[in-house]
Amino acid sequence: MRRVAITGLGVVSAVGVGCETFFTALLAARSGIRPIEIAFPNGVESVIAGSIDFNPDTYFTRAKLLTMDRVSQFALVAAREAMSQAGLADVANRAGLPPDRFGVSLGTGSGGSGSTEAAYSALLEQKVTRLRPMTVVLSMNNAIAAHVSMEFGLKGPSSTVSNACASSANAIGEAFRQIRHGYAEAMLVGGSEALLNRGTIKAWQAMQTLAKPHADGAHASCRPFSRDRTGLVLSEGAAMLVLEDWDTAQRRGAHILAELAGYASTTDAYHLTQPEASGQAHAMRLGLRDAGLNVDDIAYLNAHGTATDVGDVIETHAIRLAFQNAAATLPVSSTKAVHGHAMGAAGAMEFIASVMALRAGQLPPTAFLETPDTRCDLDYIPMQARERKDMGAVMSNSFAFGGSNAVLIAKSA
Amino acid sequence: MNSDLINLFADTFGIAQEKLQPGATLESLGLDSLAVIEFLFQIEDQFGIQIPDQANPPRTLDEMVQLIEPLMPKLGRTDTGPAA
Repeated sequence: MRRVAITGLGVVSAVGVGCETFFTALLAARSGIRPIEIAFPNGVESVIAGSIDFNPDTYFTRAKLLTMDRVSQFALVAAREAMSQAGLADVANRAGLPPDRFGVSLGTGSGGSGSTEAAYSALLEQKVTRLRPMTVVLSMNNAIAAHVSMEFGLKGPSSTVSNACASSANAIGEAFRQIRHGYAEAMLVGGSEALLNRGTIKAWQAMQTLAKPHADGAHASCRPFSRDRTGLVLSEGAAMLVLEDWDTAQRRGAHILAELAGYASTTDAYHLTQPEASGQAHAMRLGLRDAGLNVDDIAYLNAHGTATDVGDVIETHAIRLAFQNAAATLPVSSTKAVHGHAMGAAGAMEFIASVMALRAGQLPPTAFLETPDTRCDLDYIPMQARERKDMGAVMSNSFAFGGSNAVLIAKSA
Repeated sequence: MNSDLINLFADTFGIAQEKLQPGATLESLGLDSLAVIEFLFQIEDQFGIQIPDQANPPRTLDEMVQLIEPLMPKLGRTDTGPAA
């Protein structure tokens, strides 16, 4: 089996554009969560969200924007950063990477849901008799992969994974296998989400899982593992990585950031929304086996940690099941307190947080973890970033409604 | 060329007016067939006209203007501007 190198990273998140901006905010526990005003038919509501202050005209022509939902805009901006960091934005630099061996594997939960909503609104509220000709191509879930492949001329395998909150972790993992087993030399991977629209927000409100505003301010409303946590915070954004066959990356003189060493995917087959510890633990153990690592080799775990009552407790239990005695000293954090829950983009965003932690020797904390829930009794790196040099490997967990569990493991290069 | 039409075209696609020469192909202006249909729909909505389906959609700016202009309300009338 071939080894897989990570050579580029890109992030658009609630804290801004760029992976350095992202990681700096994570280490400083500086949240991008804020109240936004949403105009519903019966009045304006304030909603707490990880909404991105994003001006698309900075990145795209008006003609191009006619063809792109917000979800594709985020995806392309993050992809440009990742491809640029990998030194691959210019096709002339792609020695050993022919177009048909360079693919795309992306995740999204809701795709172009803003455009879908706009179409229904036009039809049912504004009573138009026909829709914009672009409606289908704005809304379809694989539009993000289409835009990314067209911008960079990537003609290899293409797929779009929709596994709710695990979408982009699965997309990365499946692409990892494509390279490992020789179906591609390189893959642009990750995920994008732009779901802060009326219908999606109302649907999530109805699930009774969204955080209430915290007394310290809206920014502090997502409180994973805290005794006073009240739920998750919806957010948007995109996160992209460039994966390459290790030898190809070395031959072209690429700067290898880390090795993608392990991936596992399991399904609870248990409940639509309730997580199950054994399925999550099984995914962590399979991930370790896939990477050829032991529990002691993992120096940091980026938890799924959504800040729901049941989710954080079950994940704590699952980490104990998977890591056994090593769980007691394993540093774990949830960065969602800072960037919110980016749903289909979350897995990629948090895997990038893990890779950047591995490289920097700095562990991002769980922000706002002033008083832990006694049922969440691991080392959740409360409040303050922590230095940890010479880390060998890190793990990132992604668990989804529907019972999909995905685990990614990176090793230092 | 019809200045209302050219203004709307420039504004919709964010293209500088000086690039909008009659012979310019729509492709050279960065527009594919879907974008052209999007624009034709917009014209129909704004000017209250119906553009017949085309077996061969316009390829140049000039061809597009020739297709639309005869159907548009006369210049100088108040209803020629974009809908409020």
